[in-house]
Amino acid sequence: MTMRKAVRAFIYALLALLSVVWLMPLWFVLINAVKSTRGFFSGEIWDLPEQFRIWENIRYAWVEANIGSGFLNSLLYGVVGAVFAILVAALAAFALSALELKGRMFWFLLIYSGTIFPVQMYLIPVFKMYAEAGLYDTRIGLILYYIAICIPFCLFVMRNYFMTFSKEVAEAARLDGCNDLGVFVRIYLPLAAAPVSVLFLFQFTYIWNELLFGMTLSRSADVRPLMAGLANMRGLYASSNIPALLTAALIASVPTLALFSVLQKNMMQGLTIVEKK
Amino acid sequence: MNGSRRRDKKRHSIGSRLSPYLFLLPAVVFAAVYFNYSAIVTLYYSFTDWDGINRPQFVGLQNYANIWMDGNFQVSIINTVIWVLASLLLPVGLGLLFAVVLNRVRWQKVFKNIIYLPHAMSATASGVIFAFMLSNNGITQLFDKIGLDQLAFNWLQQPPFHTIAMIFTYTWQNVGTNMVLFLIGLNAIPKDPLEAGLIDGATGWKMFYHITFPLLKPITSVVVLMSLVNSFKVFDTIWVMTTGGPYRSSETLAVTMYRETFVMSNYGYGSSIAVVLSAIIIVLSWAYLRSTMKAGDA
Repeated sequence: MTMRKAVRAFIYALLALLSVVWLMPLWFVLINAVKSTRGFFSGEIWDLPEQFRIWENIRYAWVEANIGSGFLNSLLYGVVGAVFAILVAALAAFALSALELKGRMFWFLLIYSGTIFPVQMYLIPVFKMYAEAGLYDTRIGLILYYIAICIPFCLFVMRNYFMTFSKEVAEAARLDGCNDLGVFVRIYLPLAAAPVSVLFLFQFTYIWNELLFGMTLSRSADVRPLMAGLANMRGLYASSNIPALLTAALIASVPTLALFSVLQKNMMQGLTIVEKK
Repeated sequence: MNGSRRRDKKRHSIGSRLSPYLFLLPAVVFAAVYFNYSAIVTLYYSFTDWDGINRPQFVGLQNYANIWMDGNFQVSIINTVIWVLASLLLPVGLGLLFAVVLNRVRWQKVFKNIIYLPHAMSATASGVIFAFMLSNNGITQLFDKIGLDQLAFNWLQQPPFHTIAMIFTYTWQNVGTNMVLFLIGLNAIPKDPLEAGLIDGATGWKMFYHITFPLLKPITSVVVLMSLVNSFKVFDTIWVMTTGGPYRSSETLAVTMYRETFVMSNYGYGSSIAVVLSAIIIVLSWAYLRSTMKAGDA
C-alpha cells in the first residue's frame, strides 16, 4: 500500500512539473512583453520587469506595426466568413436531406471534395484568378475565399444534423402553405442552434488563425489579416523591438483564448463533432 | 384567362421542381470555382514552365523529372518524413499518454486545461513565442547560466536542431487536442471489460495493452489519420520560425511549394510540388483507412 502511495505522489509530482514546463513559455512572454526595449536588452529574460511599459508596447504593436488593422480585418473575415459559410452550407444541407432531388450523393461529394486535397492544391489558381479579377489585395476577395474553404465541413455537420429530422414536420408545414424556403427558415434553421454555434466557434477560429492564403492574397496593411501581419512583424522586429513583438503575439491570441475560457466546455464537446469528420 | 392560369400552374411546378437545386446552387458555385476548377488548373500548371507573367509553356512531365534531381526537394522530402513520424510519436503518443494518466487522477480538469491552453493560440503566435525563446535573446541564456552550455546556441540556425525545436513547438501547441479526443474515447469505454480484466488479474500495462488500447481503436484511428494528414501540411510553424532556412535546410513540402512559387516565381514547378504533396496525402490516407477498416472487419 505504501508503494502505491509513493507511485501516486510520483505521478502528481511529474504532472506538476509538466504543467510548469508547459506554462513556462507563456510566463516568459508575459514578463517580457511588459518591459521597455532598453529594459529587455539590458537584463536577462527571466528578470522580472522593472518598469511596466505594456501600454507603450500595445500602442507600438497596434499602430506602428499595423497589428490593429490586422486585428479588425480578421474580426471581419472571421465573423462574416463563418456566418456566410454556415448559411450557404445549411441551405445545401437542407436540400440534400429534406428535398426531392436527383444525384444527392453526387452533389454532396462535389461540395465536400474541397476537403480531399490539401489547400496547396488551390493556392496558385486562386491567386492568379484574383489577380485577373481585381480581387487580389481586397477584403471581399479574402472573405469569399474564407467562405469557400469553410463550406465543406459545415455542410458535413449540417447534413448529418438535418438527416435526423423527421420528414413529417416539413410535410405538415407544407400542407399549411409553407414553401421550401419557409420550411428552411421557420423550422430547420431555428432547430439547428446547437450545431450552428459550435460550427461558428470552429470556423471563426480557423479563419482567425489562417496564415497561408491570408499572406498570399493580400499585400497592404488595410487588407492583411492578423496572422499574416504578425508573421510579417516577426520578420521585421525579431531582433529589434522584441517586447512589442511579444505583445503582438499576445494581442493576436486574446480572442481565441477568450473564446476558449468562456466556452471551453462546448469547445471540448465540439471536438466530438470534428472527430467524426 | 384559363390558359394563363394553366401556364402559371405549370411554371409553379417547374419552379418547385427546380427549387431544391437553387438551395444547392451557392455551395456548388463556391466548390466548383475554388476547389474543382482550381485543382484541375493546378494539375495543368504542373505540366508547364511558367514564371507567372508570360504564357505558361507546356513541357510535359519535365517538372516531375526535375523534382527528383533537385537537392532542395530531397531535403524537403526528408524533413517532411521526419515531421510526419515525429508528430505520430509526440503529439499523438504523448496525447495518449497524458490522457491515460489524467483519466485516473484528481484535478483532471486543471491539468487538462493547462495542456490544452496553447491550442487556443494560433500556430503563428506559438511560432513567434518559441522563436523568441530559442533565439540568442531567449532561454538559451538560461542554459548558459546553469552550465548546459552545449544547449546554449541559436537552435533555429542549426540543422537538425531547428527541425527538432519546431516539432517541439508543434507538439506544445497540438498535443492538447489529441489528449482531449483520447479522454473522450476513454470515457466512452464500457466498464465491463475492464472489470473482467481486473478479475482475470490484469493490471497496469497488461490491462492497457490487452483491454484499454484495443477498445480505444476507433478514436485512435481518427487521431492518427488527422495527425498524418495535418503533419504533411505543416506550414505556419516553419514559415514563422525559420522561413525554411537557413539555406532552405528546414523546408517541408508545403514550404518548398510556397517558396518555389511565390518567392522564386517558378509557378509550374511549384504546382508540381502541390500535386506530389496531394498525391502522397491521398494515397496514404486511403491506404490507412483501408487497413483500419479491414482490421475492423476481422
